[in-house]
Parts: sequence; structure tokens; C-alpha cells
Amino acid sequence: MYGVGATLIWLAVKKEYEPMLLLPIGFGAILVNLPLSVVWEHEGTAGFLKVLYDGGIANELFPILIFIAVGAMIDFGPLFKNPFMIFFGAAAQFGIFATMIIATVLGFDLKQAACIGIIGAADGPTAIYVANKFAKDLLGPISVAAYSYMALVPLIQPPVIRLLTTKKERRIHMVYHESGVPKWLRISFPIVVTMISGIVAPISVPLVGSLMFGNLIRESGVLERLSQTAQNELAYLVTLLLGITIGASMRADKFLNVQTLMILGMGLVAFVFDTAGGVLFAKMINLFLPKDGKINPMIGACGISAFPMSGRVIQKMAAEEERGNIILMHAIGSNVSGQLGSIIAGGMVLALVPLLVG
Amino acid sequence: MDSLVFNLRSASTTVQALAVTVGGLVGVFATLAAFFLIIWMSVKFGNRKA
Repeated sequence: MYGVGATLIWLAVKKEYEPMLLLPIGFGAILVNLPLSVVWEHEGTAGFLKVLYDGGIANELFPILIFIAVGAMIDFGPLFKNPFMIFFGAAAQFGIFATMIIATVLGFDLKQAACIGIIGAADGPTAIYVANKFAKDLLGPISVAAYSYMALVPLIQPPVIRLLTTKKERRIHMVYHESGVPKWLRISFPIVVTMISGIVAPISVPLVGSLMFGNLIRESGVLERLSQTAQNELAYLVTLLLGITIGASMRADKFLNVQTLMILGMGLVAFVFDTAGGVLFAKMINLFLPKDGKINPMIGACGISAFPMSGRVIQKMAAEEERGNIILMHAIGSNVSGQLGSIIAGGMVLALVPLLVG
Repeated sequence: MDSLVFNLRSASTTVQALAVTVGGLVGVFATLAAFFLIIWMSVKFGNRKA
């Protein structure tokens, strides 16, 4: 496990892959595997990492606080200006469900398979939240997979997109209309979204509600200091504690096994299927659109929740295909939709799986 | 609906996963479609007002 921890720290420092999470996770993994494991539990007394785990992960507090911070960071403006992008946030959740099916074929039970599939939400807090509900033992590998692949989006998405699209499709230009978004819409949106989600999938309310609470703080316009605190101090502090605590869940006896390798492999599959689902959905929509109003199918890939990295990757690809092709705002609209789509998908999984297996 | 859920409880894990897939994707699309309608109507209404 020292090697695993060191590798995560190396990826964070040398490659700058999600350093804010992979570094604390890596160090936590080393700490918890030292002789006697004093940081976890020793002679019947809980160590500081177990205290953090019980107070932040076991009761789902850390993922919820992260969602408040993320909500305060999200600007839904690009989505309001092109609301159709929201459907890509749904299509790109395909990987979650496809991977869940594959996991059951490989012998995992439904709850474990759901947790593995949710890696494809490309959303660390949702993955942690669902894993904590359904399969606590898999929390370590699922978290590592979720955050590692989010960092690897620039390497995972481009080959999949190139495989599924033609050069001509990747060069499609999209017109972006600059228009104001009424303030009342920005303020009422998080409230209405929370209420609808609460009716459709009540179990998703902690996820959606905390995300939208953060967004309401941001958009209210009267809580600037709270908004800044959520985006900075809260986000950094909870991320630090979350990372080292997740690392502490990676004890050698539970982590070093074939199951972990399978989970890491299926996490990659989930990201690939997410990307493919979004791109193919965009291509299908294009069949019904006029010749001069086609969507650049790369936009579909941004429907995964890795925000804003996926949007940036797609804009970079568009510019590489044709200099001056700017689709960034559409990509970001699709990307913030992915944030919504991933937590709704998480809520659906949390609601449906217990119906079938109790 | 109850009988469907009852039958699925005794189905294989993969069939259960397929059922969650169908239900989950329909749920995600339906929920986001509701959000789409809200945004679309709000923007249209807001622009007319302006």
C-alpha cells in the first residue's frame, strides 16, 4: 500500500492529476497502513482518521459540504441561454448504467454494481455518497477511480470522440446568442430544481439540495462573502479532510485484491461509455436538425460531470480541428447539465436499487 | 407496477440491473426534461416581459 500511496502522491505532484485529492488520499493510504495503524484505531481508542471518517464520511457530511461548495462555483448562465444542452447531461449518464450491467455480469451484487457504475457520474461526492450507502467496503477503490479518471478526462475523452465522429462533424460551428438571463430565473432555478428532485426522487434531496443551496447563495447577490467562503475556504478545507479520510479507508487487507483492479477497470469503461453516450445522442439529434443548425457532436461528451475540465477539453479539440471554432459556451452549458444529470442519476440509483434488493 | 417489482425481486442480478438502467435513464431524462421546460418557459416569459 505504500507503493499505491506513493504512486498517488507522484501523480498529484508530478502529473498534477487532481492534486488536491490524490495527494491527501495517497498520504492517508500510507498513514493507515503503518504498523499498529494508530491513526485508525489502537487499543480500542479511535485514531484521528477514524474520528474524521465517522464524523464526515460515515454520516455523509463531507460529500454534502463539498456539494454546497460546488453549487457556489457553478454558473448556470450558459445553460439558461441554450437550455437544450440539458439533455446531454442526461445522455452522458449512460456509462453509469452500462457499467452497472457489466459489473453484475462479472459477479458483483446489485448494490456493489450500482456503486461501481456511479464512478461514471464523474462526480466524486456522488460516488462517495452512493458507495457509503450501498457498499462501504468499496469506498476506497471507488473514490480513487472516480477522482483519478476525472483527472484523466483530457486523455480519455478525445480518442473516444475521434472514434465516433468524422472530421467534418468535429468542425461544425455553433452560433451562440449573447442574451441576459433574468435575475429572478437565476434565483428561482435552484429552488425549483430542489423541489422537483424532491418529488421525483426524494432520496436525492441531500445531494441536490446542498448543491442548489450553494448555488442560491451565489445567485442571491446578497451573500457575496458567504459565496466566496463556500467556493474557497469551505471547498479547500473539506477537500483536504475528505481526501485524507478516503485514503484512510484504503487498508491493505481490503484494497489489495483482484476486486480493486476490476473496479478500476470498470471505472474507465464507465467514462468511455459516458462519452460515447453523449456523442451518439448528439449525432442522433442531428438527424432531425436542418443542415445549417447541426450540433457539434463533441458537445455531447461534455454531458459528463467533470466540470469544467470536459468543457475545456472539447473547446481545445474544436480549435485544433479548425482554428477559430469557438464552442466553449455550449460545451460549458452541457457540462453544468452533466452536474445536474449525475446527481439525479445518483438519486435514481439510490431510489431504484433498494426497491429490488431491499 | 407492484407485480413487476415483485417479479424483478426474484430475477437474476443482471436483469435487475437492466431494470434499474431503464428506470434510471427514463428518470434522468424526465427530470432534466422538466428542468428544460422550466428554463425554456422562464426565458421566453422573461424576454417577453422585457
